[in-house]
Amino acid sequence: MHTISLAQLGSSGLSALPPLALYIHFPWCVKKCPYCDFNSHAVRDANYPSGLPEAQYIDALISDLESNLPQVWGRSVSSIFMGGGTPSLFSAASMDRLLEAIRARVKLNPDAEITLEANPGTFEIEKFAGYAAAGINRLSIGIQSFNAEHLSALGRIHNRDEALRAVEIAHQHFANFNLDIMYALPQQTLAQAQADIRLAIECNSTHLSAYHLTLEPNTLFHRYPPQLPDDDLAADMQEMIEAELASAGFGHYETSAFYKKSQNRDYRSQHNLNYWQFGDYLGIGAGAHGKISFHDKIIRQARYKQPSEYLAKMAAGNAIQTENVVEKAELPFEFMLNLLRLTEGFPLALFTERTGLPQSKIFAEIERACSEGLLERDLHWVKPTDKGQRFLNVLMERFLP
Amino acid sequence: MDHIRNFSIIAHIDHGKSTLADRFIQFCGGLEMREMSEQVLDSMDIEKERGITIKAQTAALQYKARDGKTYNLNLIDTPGHVDFSYEVSRSLAACEGALLVVDASQGVEAQTVANCYTAIEQGVEVRPVLNKIDLPAADPDRVAQEIEDIIGIEAGGAVHASAKSGIGIEDILEEVVNKIPPPKGDIDAPLKALIIDSWFDNYVGVIMLVRVVDGVLRPKDKILFMSSKAQHLCEQVGVFTPKSVQRPELKAGEVGFVIAGIKELASAKVGDTITTVKIPAAEPLPGFKDVKSQVFAGLYPVESHDYEKLRDSLEKLQLNDASLNYEPEVSSALGFGFRCGFLGLLHLEIVQERLEREFDMDLITTAPTVKYELVLRGGETVQIENPSKLPDPSKYDEVREPIITATILVPQDYVGPVMTLCNQKRGQQVNMQYLGRQVMLTYDLPMAEVVMDFFDKLKSVSRGYASLDYDFKEFRVGDLVKLDVLVNSERVDALSLIVHRSMSQYRGRELVAKMRELIPRQMFDIAVQAAIGSQIVARETVKAVRKDVLAKCYGGDVSRKRKLLDKQKAGKKRMKQVGNVEIPQEAFLAILQVSDK
Repeated sequence: MHTISLAQLGSSGLSALPPLALYIHFPWCVKKCPYCDFNSHAVRDANYPSGLPEAQYIDALISDLESNLPQVWGRSVSSIFMGGGTPSLFSAASMDRLLEAIRARVKLNPDAEITLEANPGTFEIEKFAGYAAAGINRLSIGIQSFNAEHLSALGRIHNRDEALRAVEIAHQHFANFNLDIMYALPQQTLAQAQADIRLAIECNSTHLSAYHLTLEPNTLFHRYPPQLPDDDLAADMQEMIEAELASAGFGHYETSAFYKKSQNRDYRSQHNLNYWQFGDYLGIGAGAHGKISFHDKIIRQARYKQPSEYLAKMAAGNAIQTENVVEKAELPFEFMLNLLRLTEGFPLALFTERTGLPQSKIFAEIERACSEGLLERDLHWVKPTDKGQRFLNVLMERFLP
Repeated sequence: MDHIRNFSIIAHIDHGKSTLADRFIQFCGGLEMREMSEQVLDSMDIEKERGITIKAQTAALQYKARDGKTYNLNLIDTPGHVDFSYEVSRSLAACEGALLVVDASQGVEAQTVANCYTAIEQGVEVRPVLNKIDLPAADPDRVAQEIEDIIGIEAGGAVHASAKSGIGIEDILEEVVNKIPPPKGDIDAPLKALIIDSWFDNYVGVIMLVRVVDGVLRPKDKILFMSSKAQHLCEQVGVFTPKSVQRPELKAGEVGFVIAGIKELASAKVGDTITTVKIPAAEPLPGFKDVKSQVFAGLYPVESHDYEKLRDSLEKLQLNDASLNYEPEVSSALGFGFRCGFLGLLHLEIVQERLEREFDMDLITTAPTVKYELVLRGGETVQIENPSKLPDPSKYDEVREPIITATILVPQDYVGPVMTLCNQKRGQQVNMQYLGRQVMLTYDLPMAEVVMDFFDKLKSVSRGYASLDYDFKEFRVGDLVKLDVLVNSERVDALSLIVHRSMSQYRGRELVAKMRELIPRQMFDIAVQAAIGSQIVARETVKAVRKDVLAKCYGGDVSRKRKLLDKQKAGKKRMKQVGNVEIPQEAFLAILQVSDK
């Protein structure tokens, strides 16, 4: 007897649900950096003379999760990421209370990666031990640069010594952590970029993210653009960084992400891999986004961005500002936007598994890109070529509806 | 008829003609205060933005003069730019008088002189007015002297006015009443009405602006167009105040509009005479000479499937602009489009802007060119309006280019630079005359050089003081060659130019250098070359861009990244794919940005 699944008919039916991750947003920073376009708000500007409403916010996060449980009933959570803003402004005790509440409400995989974003300031470093005790098993430390001039141009409030100290303490408590490095910084030379990446490699972390500084809309840098290295120099920096990391034993698995190759363990970020593999995620906290699949549809959610508004709405029972079903026509683009970032590419079958659409929806563009040397494929697998990795925007544009 | 005065205003751009017209309308109560907007007679958006008048407009005003009588004043507004000078002579044909408005600080300009001579030739009474009298730099005595020296009309008693501040408005109206003669004509004779202008209105069809010379025209009259022999039933007549106001009749001496349910502009040709079927006039009035296109350019849709839309848009535009010509053309680089003929560069720009604005077209315009005359080997003479159509030199004996006679008025201080410019543009001096503070230079110039950027250059070397008027003179043999542009070794026909051999190398080098700046870097190197025949005279490379990738993309980013990529894609849509190279619209006009040595 044959059962024909909805997916094979191309009518957006999923035969299996993807893994589910949990993202938790902490919207406050000591001060807003001029390049940052994430939902973050300076603490000093906030209307909290007596400090952050830490307990209130943790309560809100717990209610937020609770009110969304029906959407993910019965599914286990494969990873947690606490991002911001600066989550490390919160105490270890608060994190402990939050993680405990999460474990009590959802099934958390025993080996789940639980990451916390932290700034390398003295104030944060002192809390690392407590975070580890609370069950956080991975840190992502926002170093950005070790160079004093560039740190100040980026508006960062830590210095080189604090950064190195943060790495040292991280090694004491975490077997797995990431360092964020940026290049193509205002007035940066190739030699300076090389000094930054070499020192980062010496830090011996299990993961490195190297981001090309981008002027994002709605940032101070966008309005008052700094003097940046030209395109050719920036491309030289990228090639240099990739070469340095490769010779230091790092694998390059996503546009800007590198992991320490190891016999014993996969140090790729499990949480971020899930985004790039078009997995599901629940997002809680101010401005957090979620993507949740059902057998017949995929929805996207966004919560209120302003912390005070989020808290008020959450107190009233619901902080979801928008929730919409992703149109079928958008799915090929959304899938490709993520999957093509992975250097290893993806199995063609994953497209149908994650979108419920037939492969024919993307086939013509894949063939065209193969003929231009941007993609390569065999019967089951597609991956971007070196050239394709350099021109991802050209590729992604073609899948726009 | 004694209480009618038909007049127009002759003035250079910026000398305050439209503002003065506004003041007249205000003074005579043609519009309520709340209806007044600046430059009310300029109804097209482009006219208001650029501060120029493109089509003639009229206003019928009621003026109670100092002698106690009320006069009907018909103001016929005229364009001030050289591209539209043919409209000026039409407007003047409907007038007995004209006000020569001169900026009291700037003095007389070449275009004013030309229009003034046209008026005098047509027997129109010209009365000078010195405007902007309240500016600190105003020098009315000097400018009055200049009017006498250059134009040769008495200017000692010229009215001093400031349209902007409302000074002297009544004095000008008195001048119109007392110095401009009333129209002559026989109200009892068979109807003779001259069509001064006509345009298409979506609701009522063709609207004709007419000057009734003899007789009376009323609704329900069966009218006859004397040259086209078409017959129509007159539906409405009236005047513009400048609002349209219906009237029971239009009598000899009056200017007004006629609506007769006509669907095609072609059957109500400007210059034709309207009479009645019942008692037709014996002879038509002398009409106007046809206007010829001077400047040609290819217009292509960026998206090839918009070809039909472009054709429809041009068709609609032509309903209101009989001076626009177009015919289908195919380019190997740009696909299907149209070769269009314009009166001048400003006319081209206006058409292009109206197509983009009013018809929402995305266009590629090729570099403007002129009409060349070619004597083929067999002795046959042909004309080409597209440089890429110039055949191999072995196929023709000679190429002739259009030469114009340019009259330039410039203050003495700038004579040197202006002469240098004319020489650079291959000009030959014909005459040079000192007229008071100004010098009148007459040059024969190749028209191809003038349509490019001559006017802008002239303005910049003379700090805006020089003014220009020109007339076609003749086709003259020239040592002309075709300059081709190759993009990644492929000849792009839409970029071909005809240039003088002495300038070909230089222009080729400058052109490809400009193209290199305008073509965005792409995934591969792009070679841009200029060639004369098979000889490459210049080469530049647009270096390949090395990456185009988003540094970050995480869970909440989808809509933001989507927006960014949508924008990038929309940007590419405005470019034309030639081979595998994307060329932006402005690169097709790169030659306009090339400066001379």
